[in-house]
Amino acid sequence: MSNEPDFESRLNRRTILTGAAGGVMFSGLVARLVQLQLFEGERYKEIANENGVKLDLAPPRRGTIYDRFGVPLASHRQAGRVSIVREQARDLDATLDEIGKHIDLSPEERRRIIQQARGQASFQSTIVKSELTYEEFARMTLLAADIPGVRADMAATRSYPRGRDLAHVLGYVAKASADDLTRLTENVSPEEASLLARLFKHPDMRTGRSGVERSAEAWLRGQPGFRRLETNAAGRVIRELDSDDLAPTPGRDIGLTVDAELQRAAIDRFGDESGAAVVMDIETGALLAFVSTPAFDPNDFVNGISYADYNALRENDRSPLYHKAYDGTYPPGSTFKMVVATAALEAGIDPNQRIHCNRYYRFGNRTWHCWKPGGHGSVDMHWAIKGSCDVYFYDIARRVGVEHIADVSRRFGFGQVWELGLTGGRGGTVPDDAWKRKALGEPWYEGETLNYGIGQGYLSTSPLQLAVMSARIAAKGRLIEPYIIGEGPRPDEPIPFAEPLDPDHMQRMMDGMYGVTSEAGGTAWRSGDLGLGGPRLAGKTGTAQVRRISEAERRTGVLKGEELERRLRDHALFVAYAPADDPKYAISVVVEHGEGGSSAAAPIARDILATAIRRDSRRAAKWQQTASVPSVRTGGGSR
Amino acid sequence: MARAARASAIRFEDRTFASTLAELPWGLVLMLVTVACIGVAALYSSTFTNPDEAVLPARHAIRFVVALGLMFFIALVPVGIWLRAAWPAYFVTLAMLVGVELFGVTGGGATRWLPLGPINVQPSEFMKLALTLALARYYHNNLTFQSGRFFIHLPPLLMIIVPAALIFKQPDFGTTLALFASGGVLIYLAGLYYRVIIAVVIAGLASAWPVYMFVLQDYQRERVNTFLAQLTGQAVNTLDDGYQIEQAKIAIGSGGWQGRGFMEGTQAQLDYIPEQHTDFILTVIAEEFGFLGATGLLLLWAIILAWGLVIAGRSSSLFGRFAAVGCVATVAFFILFNVAMVLGLVPVVGVPLPLVSYGGTVMFTTMACFGILLSVHLGRDDRLAAQGVI
Repeated sequence: MSNEPDFESRLNRRTILTGAAGGVMFSGLVARLVQLQLFEGERYKEIANENGVKLDLAPPRRGTIYDRFGVPLASHRQAGRVSIVREQARDLDATLDEIGKHIDLSPEERRRIIQQARGQASFQSTIVKSELTYEEFARMTLLAADIPGVRADMAATRSYPRGRDLAHVLGYVAKASADDLTRLTENVSPEEASLLARLFKHPDMRTGRSGVERSAEAWLRGQPGFRRLETNAAGRVIRELDSDDLAPTPGRDIGLTVDAELQRAAIDRFGDESGAAVVMDIETGALLAFVSTPAFDPNDFVNGISYADYNALRENDRSPLYHKAYDGTYPPGSTFKMVVATAALEAGIDPNQRIHCNRYYRFGNRTWHCWKPGGHGSVDMHWAIKGSCDVYFYDIARRVGVEHIADVSRRFGFGQVWELGLTGGRGGTVPDDAWKRKALGEPWYEGETLNYGIGQGYLSTSPLQLAVMSARIAAKGRLIEPYIIGEGPRPDEPIPFAEPLDPDHMQRMMDGMYGVTSEAGGTAWRSGDLGLGGPRLAGKTGTAQVRRISEAERRTGVLKGEELERRLRDHALFVAYAPADDPKYAISVVVEHGEGGSSAAAPIARDILATAIRRDSRRAAKWQQTASVPSVRTGGGSR
Repeated sequence: MARAARASAIRFEDRTFASTLAELPWGLVLMLVTVACIGVAALYSSTFTNPDEAVLPARHAIRFVVALGLMFFIALVPVGIWLRAAWPAYFVTLAMLVGVELFGVTGGGATRWLPLGPINVQPSEFMKLALTLALARYYHNNLTFQSGRFFIHLPPLLMIIVPAALIFKQPDFGTTLALFASGGVLIYLAGLYYRVIIAVVIAGLASAWPVYMFVLQDYQRERVNTFLAQLTGQAVNTLDDGYQIEQAKIAIGSGGWQGRGFMEGTQAQLDYIPEQHTDFILTVIAEEFGFLGATGLLLLWAIILAWGLVIAGRSSSLFGRFAAVGCVATVAFFILFNVAMVLGLVPVVGVPLPLVSYGGTVMFTTMACFGILLSVHLGRDDRLAAQGVI
C-alpha cells in the first residue's frame, strides 16, 4: 500500500464525494416524493378515489326506422334471456343440466357456453340462450331464484316488425365481425376507434350489415354511455353507482318514404311469383314501394343465422337475398320503346309517318321478326306504341342510330346508379359504340341497333330505372330523382345534369301508353281500369327474352312458355302511371320468368296502383307534419 | 477521528468471542432489523386480502432471520480470509455464469439458474459480492501513486464487463446495471483521472442510442419507450404499458403527508399495482404511511449507508476500504434505482428494494454485503499485507 499523502487524501476525498453523490441522489428522490405526495397529493387522491370506479360501457339504443306514416319498420323488442355466472354457479355442467331440463340446449350450444364461460373472468356472465319464449322466460325466472349463478333478464333486441316486407331496403344488423370493425373504424380518430372496438364487444351491440341499417350506421348508432361500477382491480363489481349523467345518447330515427301497407299489398299481389316492383310519387320522386320478392326475414340475422338457413336462402332459385328492384338488371324489352320513340321525335321523324309491318323486317342478309303473328299492318308511332310493333321500332331505331338512342336513354335515367342511401344499386348498361369497343373490343354493328330498338341486346335496366322512366314521362319530361330516405341521412351525391325532355314529346308517349291500356289494339287493354270507378292507368308492356330463339325453332313453331323450364321463360315487364288523366304514381313491375308483360306484370301493376290511390300514399308523411322535428326535408322537388 | 477509533479498539489478538460481538455496530444492526420489520408490515398490508399470499410476510420474516445469521457469520470471519478468498470466489462465480450460459435453467423468460445437484443457484447474485471483493483485492495489491493512470484501471474494467455481459445475456438488466454501478464507484474511488471519467461518461451517453437500437430486447425497448413517454408527459396507454407506473404514481401521490393509514390504502387493497409486494412495495408504504413514512424509510437507509461509508473510511487496509465501499454501493444502487423506478424517474427494470421487497435472493445478497461490511469493521486495524502477485 502506498502512503503518498496526496494519494491518501484523494482516497478520503473520493470516499466522501461518493457519499455526497449518494446524498444528492437520496435528496432527489425525496424531492420527487415532495412533488408527488405534497404538491400533487390531492389530485392523486381524487384519481385513487375514482380508481375503484369502473366505467362500464352502456350501448346506445339504435334509432328506429319508420315508414312514411310512422309505422315502425326497424325497432326494438324486449326479449328474455338466461345467463350464467361461473363463479356463482357451483358446478357449470350441473347448472347447465338443470337449465337444459327446461329449455332446449344442443350439445353444440353447451360446448360454446362452457368454452366462453371458461375463457373469461369467473365473475362475468355468459349468455346461455337469448330470444326465450314467454314460457321459457317464466320458467327461467323461477329457476334463477333457486339455482345460484343463473340469471334471467330482458334485453332489447333489434326487431323488424314487418318481417320480410322491406328486408332489402332495411337490410339487417348482426354482431360486428372483425371485418365489420375494420370497416367501421376506418377514417375515425384512434380514440374513437378504440371506443368503437370496445363498444362492439358488448353482447347487446349490433351493426348494420346491409341496406339502410348499414348505410346509415353512424346516424342510427348513437353515442355510448357508461355505467359507474365500483370494482376492485381485478374487475369484480362490488356495486353499481348512480350514472344518469353518463346515460347513452340514443341513435337518431329515420323516416322512409315507403308506405308499409302499400309495400305489403304489393308483395301479397306477387304471390309466389318472384320479381320486383317500384312505386314512385311523380311529383316528388319519393319511393312509396320498393318491392323485391321473395325476400329473407331480417329478424333471422339479428342473432346470427345458421349455416343451413343461410345456404337455403343462397341456393333458392328465386334469389331471396338479392335486391331485384335495385341490384337486378333486366333487358327492358318493349317498355323501352318510349325511349326509342322519343329519340325518333328528337331526330325529327314524323310520328304520323306509317310503316308497314308484315311481321318481317329485312336488313342486310338477316330477318328480324315482330312478336305478332301476321304483323300489325300499317302503323304510325301511336299505333306502334300501343300495339308494341317491333317492325316499326326496328325501322326508326336504325334511322335514329345507336348514339342518339343511348343519349336519350341516359336522360331517362338509364345507366345511372341512383344513390338512395342503401347498400348496392346497379346502373345496368346503356350500350353504344364506345361502350362496346371498351367492353367487348368490337365496333357496334348496325344490326344491333335494331335489337336496341325493342329493348333487347346488351341493354340492361333496373326496375328502379324503369319506374324513373315512367315517372319522367308522366311528369312531362321533368327530370325527377328518386329518393327513399325522407328524414335521415340523405346521400349527397351530385345528380348529373341532363337536358330535360320535351313536354310535347312526352305527351305523345303518354298518349301512346294510354292507348296500350285503354284503346282497341292496345297490348294491355284489359288492365286499364283500376277498378275504382273512374281513374284509369296508362302503361306499357314488355317482355324480356331470356333465351335466344333459333331460326330452326321459329320454323317449327316457337315454344310456348308452359313448354319451357321456368328459368328459360321470358321476364314479364310493365311500366305505368296512374291516374291516366292526372298522373300521381309511376310504377314498374318485373315478374321474373312471368312470360307476358300484359298477362303477368300488367295486372299486378294495376292492382298496386289501385291500392296506392285508395290509400292515397301521397298524403303528407308523418315527418312532414310536425314542424318541431329538425332536419326535415320535404319532398324531392328541391333536389 | 479514525486514529482515535483505532486507539480505542481492542487489539485483534486479545479479542474474545464476546468482546468481538460487543464491538459490532449494534445501532446499524438495529436499523437493518427496523427496515426488515417495515418490509414485513408492508407485505402484510399488501397481501392479506389474498389468501394465497397470506404466508408471504411470515416467510419474509423467517428469511430475514436466516439472512441475519448469515451476516453475523460473514462478519465474524476475519477480513484477511475474505481477501484471500476474493480471487477464487470471483473466478468460480464467473465459471458458474459461463455454466448458466451453457446449461442454465430457464424460468420466466430468462436463463439465470444453474442446476447444482438438488438446487438451482443464481450465480449472478453471487457475482455482485464476488466482483466487489475481487476489485478490492485488485486495488489492494496494485494501487500506486500513479493510480490516476488509465491502464491501471483496465483490468478492473474487464473484470466488470465480462460478468456483466454474461448476465446481460440472461437477460438480467438490473444486475448488469448493479455491477456497473458498484464497480464504477470502486474505479472512481481508486483515483481514475476525472478527464478519463468525463470521457467515459460522454462515450456512455453517445452509445445510448446504439445500445437502445441494437442491444436491448424488444420488451426492454418497450419499457424505455413507455418511460420516456410518461416522463415527458405524453399520453401513454394507461391500461397497457404505462399502467403499472401510472397506478404507482397514483398510490404514492394519494398518500399525501401522513398516508391513508395502515391497511387503508385503496390502491394497495384493491390490487391496482402489479408486483406491489415485490419491486413496487414502496407504493404500499408511501400510500399508507404517506410522505413521512416513505421519507423515513429513505432516511433510515441513508443513515445505514452513511454508516457503511464511515466504516470504509476507518479501515486501515485498502482491501477493507474498497470492499466496504463496494458493498455500500451495491446496496445503495438497489435502493436508489428501485425508488427512482417506482417514482417514475427511471425505466421499469426489475430491481427490488432491499430487505423490504419480498424475495429471497436480494435479501441474502444484501445481508451478505453487510456481513462483509461488519467484517471490515472488525478488521479495521489489520493493514493486510499484499497477497500473491496481483
